[in-house]
Amino acid sequence: MTSFNRSLVLGLVLLVLGADEVAWSQSAQADDTASGKRVYISVGCFTCHGRSGQGGSFNYPVPALARTALPVEAFNAIVRTGPNDMPAYPASVLSDKDLADIRAFLRSLPGRRPAEDFPLLNQ
Amino acid sequence: MSTKSSDPRVASRRHFLKSATLTGAAALASPVVPVAQQSQEKASARSVPQPNLAAETQPPAADPVNQTSSGGDFMVDVLKTLDIDYIAINCASSFRGIHEAIINYGQNVKPEILTCPHEEIAVSMAQGYAKIEGRPMAMMCHGVVGLQHASMALYNAWCDRVPVYVMIGNIVEADKRAPGAEWVHSAIDPAALVRDFVKWDDQPASLQHFAESAVRAYKIAMTPPMAPVLLSLDAELQENPIPDRGRLRIPRLTTVTPPAGDPVAIAEAVKLLVAAENPVVVVDRYARTSAGMARLVEFAEALQCAVVDQAGRMNFPSRHPLNQTFRRAAVVGQADVILAIEMNDLWGTINSFADRIVRSSRPIFKPGTKIVTLGTRDLYLKANYQDFGRFQDVDLAIAGDGEASLPALTDQVKRLADASRRSALETRGKRLADLHQATREQARAEATLGWDSSPITTARLCAELWAQIKDEDWSLVGNGIRILWPQRLWKFDKPYQWNGGAGGAGIGYNAPASAGAALANKRHGRISIAIQGDGDLMFVPGTLWTAAHHRIPILYVVHNNRAYHQEYMYLQAMAARHGRGITNAHIGTTLTDPNVDYAAVSKGFGVYAEGPITDPKDLGPALKRAVAVVKRGEPALVDVVTDPR
Repeated sequence: MTSFNRSLVLGLVLLVLGADEVAWSQSAQADDTASGKRVYISVGCFTCHGRSGQGGSFNYPVPALARTALPVEAFNAIVRTGPNDMPAYPASVLSDKDLADIRAFLRSLPGRRPAEDFPLLNQ
Repeated sequence: MSTKSSDPRVASRRHFLKSATLTGAAALASPVVPVAQQSQEKASARSVPQPNLAAETQPPAADPVNQTSSGGDFMVDVLKTLDIDYIAINCASSFRGIHEAIINYGQNVKPEILTCPHEEIAVSMAQGYAKIEGRPMAMMCHGVVGLQHASMALYNAWCDRVPVYVMIGNIVEADKRAPGAEWVHSAIDPAALVRDFVKWDDQPASLQHFAESAVRAYKIAMTPPMAPVLLSLDAELQENPIPDRGRLRIPRLTTVTPPAGDPVAIAEAVKLLVAAENPVVVVDRYARTSAGMARLVEFAEALQCAVVDQAGRMNFPSRHPLNQTFRRAAVVGQADVILAIEMNDLWGTINSFADRIVRSSRPIFKPGTKIVTLGTRDLYLKANYQDFGRFQDVDLAIAGDGEASLPALTDQVKRLADASRRSALETRGKRLADLHQATREQARAEATLGWDSSPITTARLCAELWAQIKDEDWSLVGNGIRILWPQRLWKFDKPYQWNGGAGGAGIGYNAPASAGAALANKRHGRISIAIQGDGDLMFVPGTLWTAAHHRIPILYVVHNNRAYHQEYMYLQAMAARHGRGITNAHIGTTLTDPNVDYAAVSKGFGVYAEGPITDPKDLGPALKRAVAVVKRGEPALVDVVTDPR
């Protein structure tokens, strides 16, 4: 095998391995997102923040969470301490893994889009 | 067959009839057993006692069976002078006298009867009607069980400062009550049940007394602060003939001119406002006539100040550049003078409150901010029910009707603001206009979130609805979604385009109050729309029948989130607080299993309906068809399965 061929084979192997890595990573992420959506609904996050993370109102306006830009630490701190009227969720009822999955789900949601693209919002 | 009866009972009856004829009417009136019958009974101890058929089938001649007038007729004469268009009722024997007088003597005109399948519907219809029409509707019910049904709705109207003209039936004299229902439906003081939340009540003892109290009640109800009033009508008074109509007099109604604020106090307030860098107006149940909104616009433009509208009435145009409603915390936080006009809960508007294990609060306004109140709230409060909210320290409290007082403030602002000050005011106005526009852009961007989702977002629902009504002469008469998407997305600029809320946050208001408001809008040819919570509709679904029966054109768009959702959130907070059962908060708070088919319910009441709509793409066409039905003069309902808020 020439050095060129060796390099080609190695490259292909790496490419295949890389693709696998990406596929595995995407699959894991999809799992996290799907799990996050399940937990987000089952523990009632949606009741205030909406199924699409669009926000809502409780005693005060409730912020939208779709495609949240909150860093992990800030996100976790908010859920654990519950600012204002938001209930605080201790680790005994909502694990760190659940939190990470919820955040992954929220990150996967489409965020705000230009209102100009929606004729109904331009009247 | 023999024609001659051998039955001894027949012989007895014949004998009795002969006797009765001879002895006259007095004998007929008596239930005394005839002598002949007594003889028969003595003759045979085994014979069965027989009814006195003559006494039971022949009216005693001395007892009148017809009358040419009734107290109810006179009551109708009085009501007609009050120019009351409608009376919403659930029929009841304790007011059968005036009921009959209304439909026959009064020819069912002024007032015209609205048939309601629940007293709560009747009161709420009157509440919604009065806010659009600017004058009260009457309602009538049983004095005991009917008023018990009506009471929650009356509390809503009381909290909302809305006049409702309530009449109840009662039988005052004990010896006039028939056994059974008339006893359990009578009371010594039936109004006691609701006296905490009506402004005035009376139980007239004569027709002249009724006339004076009826006019007085109307006058009191319509004097700010407005509120429900109640008259208890004795059945005897309603039903008995009028002894001498010529002696009865109907007083002339002269309504009270709403009180305007003291000029010295107004001048002091204006001085503060004109000198302020960031004056803010907060307003709630302010506009009581069609002139109210224009007066507030003129005042705000003269001062170029921020306006925060708490939406108790149609106070301020939603797209006016000075409307800063959705920047409340920011503008209140920057304010150096706050003018609160007809505010119910001022404390709650300018303070934040945390619903946590240890409840806490803090002002959102700066220390030193001057607070001025203008309104009739301080003029009339009651003790028991706590609808007045927490006490707020203020610097100047002006007693006066907001709408009546505002022109004086506007004139003085214009006089006091010289050329150099005007320039500063205009600069402030431009800054506020930019912030208003940014807030609108933010609302539009937020409305895109979950745009294609199912269940449908409330933002999408409101955007679809706006597309169908924006070119009509529309009026949003009820809103069951706690988030104010219509005010964020729609252009409200006419005095009748919003009708406020329940007042007492009592569920079961929205559907009937919206129907009442739609009835008021009907004469003006407006399209009435109610965004209708499913939980609210479950309390009073019979409203739909009333809307169909009376041809009330209204579009109900059911915000069907299948829950008493505010309670769902509260329960979720409790569960999280205890760190347990955070997946159980749907128990007792949701309306699922089975899901309610509101379109089927609606059709059952004779109302055009579509749904449940779950795909947002189907919503626009369904709304369009329903609007066409409403434009024909009929009610319609579209059931939309929505996200919670």
